[in-house]
Amino acid sequence: MATTTLEPQADTYRRSWVLDWLTTVDHKKIGILYIVNSFIFFFAAGILALVIRSELMVPGLQFVDIETYNQAFTMHGTIMIFLFVVPVLTGFGNYIVPLQLGAPDMAFPRINALSFWLLPLGGGLIFSGYLFGGAAAEGWTAYAPLTSERFAPGVGTDLWIIGLTLVGTASILGAVNFIATIFKMRAPGMTLFRMPIFVWTVLVTATLILLATPVLAAGLIALFIDRNYGGSFFDPSVGGNPVLWQHIFWFFGHPEVYIVVLPAMGVVSEIIPVFSRKPLFGYKAFVFATIAIGLLSFTVWAHHMFTTGQVLLPFFAFMTTLIAIPTGVKMFNWLATMWRAKITLATPMLFALGFVSMFLIGGISGVMLAQPPIDFHLQDTYFVVAHLHYVFFGGSVFGVFAAAYYWFPKMTGRMLNEPLGKVHFWLHFIGFNLTFFPMHQLGLSGMPRRIADYSPDAGWTILNLMSTVGAFMIAISVLPFLVNVIASLINGQPAGDDPWEANTLEWATSSPPPPYNFDRLPPIHSERPLFFLTHGHGHAPAAGREHDVIEEPEDDPERRGGLA
Amino acid sequence: MSARAAAVDSHDVHVTARESAMPTALLGMLLFIASEVMFFGGLFATYFNARASAAGEWGPPAGAHGLDIVLAGVLTVVLVTSSFTMQFGVWAIRRGDIGKLRLWTALTLILGVAFVLGQLYDYSVLGFGIADGVFGTTFYTLTGFHGAHVFGGTVGLTILLARAMRGQFSARNHVAVEAISIYWHFVDVVWIAVFSTIYLLR
Amino acid sequence: MPTTGARSRARSIVRAGGLLLFLMLLGGCLLPPDPKTDAGQDVFNLYILVLALAALVFVGVEGFIVYAIVRYRREPGDDALPEQHHGNTKVEILWTAIPSVIVLVLFVMSVITLGSVEARADRPGVTIEVVAKQWTWDFRYPDGVEVTGSSGRPTELPLPVGEPVRLVIISEDVNHAFFVPEFLIKRDAIDMGENAAPNEIEFTVTEAGTYAGQCAEFCGVGHADMIFVVNAMPRADYDAHMAALAAGATPPPAPGEGDCPTTIQVAAVESIRFDTDSIEAPAGEDFCIELTNNDTIEHDIGIEEIGFDGENVAPGESITYLIPAMEAGDYTFYCTIHPREMVGELKVTE
Ligand code: HEA
Ligand code: HEA
Ligand code: CUA
Ligand SMILES: [Cu+2]
Repeated sequence: MATTTLEPQADTYRRSWVLDWLTTVDHKKIGILYIVNSFIFFFAAGILALVIRSELMVPGLQFVDIETYNQAFTMHGTIMIFLFVVPVLTGFGNYIVPLQLGAPDMAFPRINALSFWLLPLGGGLIFSGYLFGGAAAEGWTAYAPLTSERFAPGVGTDLWIIGLTLVGTASILGAVNFIATIFKMRAPGMTLFRMPIFVWTVLVTATLILLATPVLAAGLIALFIDRNYGGSFFDPSVGGNPVLWQHIFWFFGHPEVYIVVLPAMGVVSEIIPVFSRKPLFGYKAFVFATIAIGLLSFTVWAHHMFTTGQVLLPFFAFMTTLIAIPTGVKMFNWLATMWRAKITLATPMLFALGFVSMFLIGGISGVMLAQPPIDFHLQDTYFVVAHLHYVFFGGSVFGVFAAAYYWFPKMTGRMLNEPLGKVHFWLHFIGFNLTFFPMHQLGLSGMPRRIADYSPDAGWTILNLMSTVGAFMIAISVLPFLVNVIASLINGQPAGDDPWEANTLEWATSSPPPPYNFDRLPPIHSERPLFFLTHGHGHAPAAGREHDVIEEPEDDPERRGGLA
Repeated sequence: MSARAAAVDSHDVHVTARESAMPTALLGMLLFIASEVMFFGGLFATYFNARASAAGEWGPPAGAHGLDIVLAGVLTVVLVTSSFTMQFGVWAIRRGDIGKLRLWTALTLILGVAFVLGQLYDYSVLGFGIADGVFGTTFYTLTGFHGAHVFGGTVGLTILLARAMRGQFSARNHVAVEAISIYWHFVDVVWIAVFSTIYLLR
Repeated sequence: MPTTGARSRARSIVRAGGLLLFLMLLGGCLLPPDPKTDAGQDVFNLYILVLALAALVFVGVEGFIVYAIVRYRREPGDDALPEQHHGNTKVEILWTAIPSVIVLVLFVMSVITLGSVEARADRPGVTIEVVAKQWTWDFRYPDGVEVTGSSGRPTELPLPVGEPVRLVIISEDVNHAFFVPEFLIKRDAIDMGENAAPNEIEFTVTEAGTYAGQCAEFCGVGHADMIFVVNAMPRADYDAHMAALAAGATPPPAPGEGDCPTTIQVAAVESIRFDTDSIEAPAGEDFCIELTNNDTIEHDIGIEEIGFDGENVAPGESITYLIPAMEAGDYTFYCTIHPREMVGELKVTE
């Protein structure tokens, strides 16, 4: 019970400032809270990753014991997914979606605040295992029966369950809010097919969250009942079924992986056109591909269970591989957007291209894993670890940084420093590949995941060493980013309303936007209302007066450029 | 640049909620219910999975009393009736008849409470618990989570009734009534599914 | 920083090219181990096909990105808009169709391979119960022999070469997975209770030797210690080995120096040759070949007829291979890395 004595004046000042943020229901402030909170968790989980990598650098147990190691990768995976990537993208969604729709706020501002505040609470509970005899240590997938009370008696696992349930509830509420906002709060003229792609991806993502997360909640509750009330959902000795957990977890888990990547794809689809000075090629194809991925994602969960011997291999292999097609459509649309474009390699664009090129590798390794005979060899090896980082890190995290560099000027009114941003990108990009590319080979030669130690005779030492060096390089690369953000907040160049000559409505208001976002809205006749204002038909800058009559004709054969 | 700025200025902002059939709050409730459907879907999946792979007879452990289908049947009637009374309340307020709304809401609330109490009574005499084999686990989880939802509904109904007593609803303004009624119907439908699955599909 | 467009383009090419090269170096060759079972060979072949398709997609897409960045850079001060392409239905169809074909090819090839990996012989040569538990393996043989192990020390799994082996994989507690990288196969060990029968896998080992195996499904603190070693040998040796195990005797010693009555010296010498093209060994008893590598690259020794393939030896090092007893006759020994350059004849005499 320490009492802090503060100068009375400072007290009132600070209290009002803090209170303002604690009680805010403004979507922009909540968005920033989301993003800052997520980055704190990112650093925590990243430090756990460094623990993992240090331990694996050379054979032998040098830094931590096995129990600590197991807690480290469990917490690392859990926090990265549930408290970094998902919430940080939700944060950008919170900030940007109402702006892009021309709306003053989210549909349910109070629920919005509630869903944010559940996050630090849930995350805190998950982490608090460290204070009560050890955090959960059964992997982020928490397979039964390893998570039963018998094999994992610690309270850390219960805290993990409760924390995740809260985080899940938060994202369900958030999803309701997003969908309602998108259907109810669009500005006049903003038809569904004029919405920016980012909004579309958020819409599909929110739908996935809405339908997948409750299933995880049901599973978590079942697990909790098994552990604490003598239930037997997953206990084979009294009629339960341990594989049932895997079905439930992956029925949620696979949509979850698209939940973390679709909004990042949306970010990339905003950035590539702007820095190519062209519209996104194949807008509608892109929208339908996103919806197709969403639908398919509910039919493929058992590709995580090929080696359980309990699933229909050809069916799930086929459905899984099928996802390559809509994903490919997106890839090719990005590429076609850059065809005959005028590309500027500003930092947001670099990260966006980093996304495209790295996600490709992760996608391809995913397709390899989707072939059951190959998965028999690779399942639960470092090849899977490589795959998941290429899609999560090479995909989502590159997308997150792209979004951060792209929208920072809008959120703060200040530009980030370009040279520092480029240093960040290249260190990040090289460190990332150095860390995770060797893992493909490690997995192919049989190194299982989730081991704290390996034999020096196995021939895995050099590749592990490279990987560890890469991990520290990633960690260092984050420093220029932090420096950049802080320096810019203190003394950044003013950004103006629209520093990138962008297309969408968030750039039509001041940076940062005023409360309730817009004093005036431009007319909306296409998915690029701002571009339209400046360029009219898109051939030459047009005077901004006749825009009311100019429709951007989507089916006019004359204007359909195309590759052919 | 300046052309654009001028254009931005020249237009008034229309950023009100879209004028369409469904109020935002109602849409929110429907979306929430969609997630609830998936939640119960998960629980039902555990039930069916356990049932499909059960080796012996599927049901309460030997020595227990067995399920009381008569009591469950009565509870079903109670809950289905409450769905009707709820709907009568909705129709009443759509006509602007707040007096009838109070009456029907109170009746619905009483039926809901009766259901919860009946279920608690049922639990107390069943003679097996959640830890008695996988049937016990799935049975209590399914009916328990349904019961919790009914309980949540009764809390909502209480608030609704209080607001109705203060005259806060009218023919034009009663979104909360519509929202709670959808939720209540949903809970009713879930019970019909639970009842059919556990009691009828033996 | 005034840079001309051409120079910055050149820089980008160097950057991108360097990057690709770097990636390739990092990847090594991205291959799984040489398969030592028939099923493993099928998986390996499928993998090669998939890797080739993957490489195609990879090079195509990354190549285009690099090309676009280099070719379509916006010059400083260039304010003209590029042509505004909004889409093109024909190309959309094209790039939906091509991946669809790839997906179908993959599916068909996978299912075919799956068929041969999952094929079951009517009467396998031996059926062994593999029992996984925290954190050791037990192997139960039909005639009551049980090989048990202890955590951190590999349990031995003796197997006959050249005949189908069936493994029934059970768990006594949490989930584990049976995994032998050089067989390219793995299967979970799950206590299924009444839900389902335990998992089975079947394969034919094609080459005598010892192969490391390890639990691949996370199973708690001892997960990394759940190791075993497959000891695959010709039928005769296998029978003797199992008889010895049944009698409770210690099994024949594992290969190592000093265990052989006869040791034959062979050296690999510069420019990819053996120092001899003919060696002799006694029939009916184990013998050793000591290979000294005086060359500047790696070599090993294999014996074609019995499917023996020894470990590789680095330049300047030597190794001793234990060769299981052979019948009298003429055989071929060779370096499996350089089978054409380095061959010789092995005479096994009474
Ligand atoms: C963002 C997250 C994300 C994303 C997007 C994906 C995308 C995909 N994943 Fe991945 N996956 C994970 C996250 C993700 N995954 C995680 C976290 C795990 C491990 C979980 C754990 O066990 O801890 C995992 C594990 C995992 C497995 C199980 C491995 C195992 O444990 O044995 C499989 C198997 O099928 C798989 C497949 C795929 C496929 C086919 C895709 C596809 O969607 C990829 C599609 C994309 C492309 C193919 C590239 C672009 C396409 C083209 C250029 C068109 C032309 C190409 C072809 C026709 C090939 N993933
Ligand atoms: C979005 C998801 C995400 C992200 C971004 C990462 C990022 C990283 N991961 Fe992650 N990882 C997973 C998701 C993710 N991981 C998952 C799901 C698993 C599976 C877990 C399981 O098996 O259950 C996994 C497992 C996993 C393993 C396998 C463990 C095992 O199986 O034994 C390894 C091993 O190297 C690893 C390494 C790394 C590294 C080095 C990074 C790095 O890229 C991290 C880089 C970040 C930093 C280093 C932070 C920077 C911080 C600072 C510079 C300090 C500054 C501090 C302050 C200012 C306070 N991860
Ligand atoms: Cu047994 Cu891992
Ligand atoms: Cu998946």
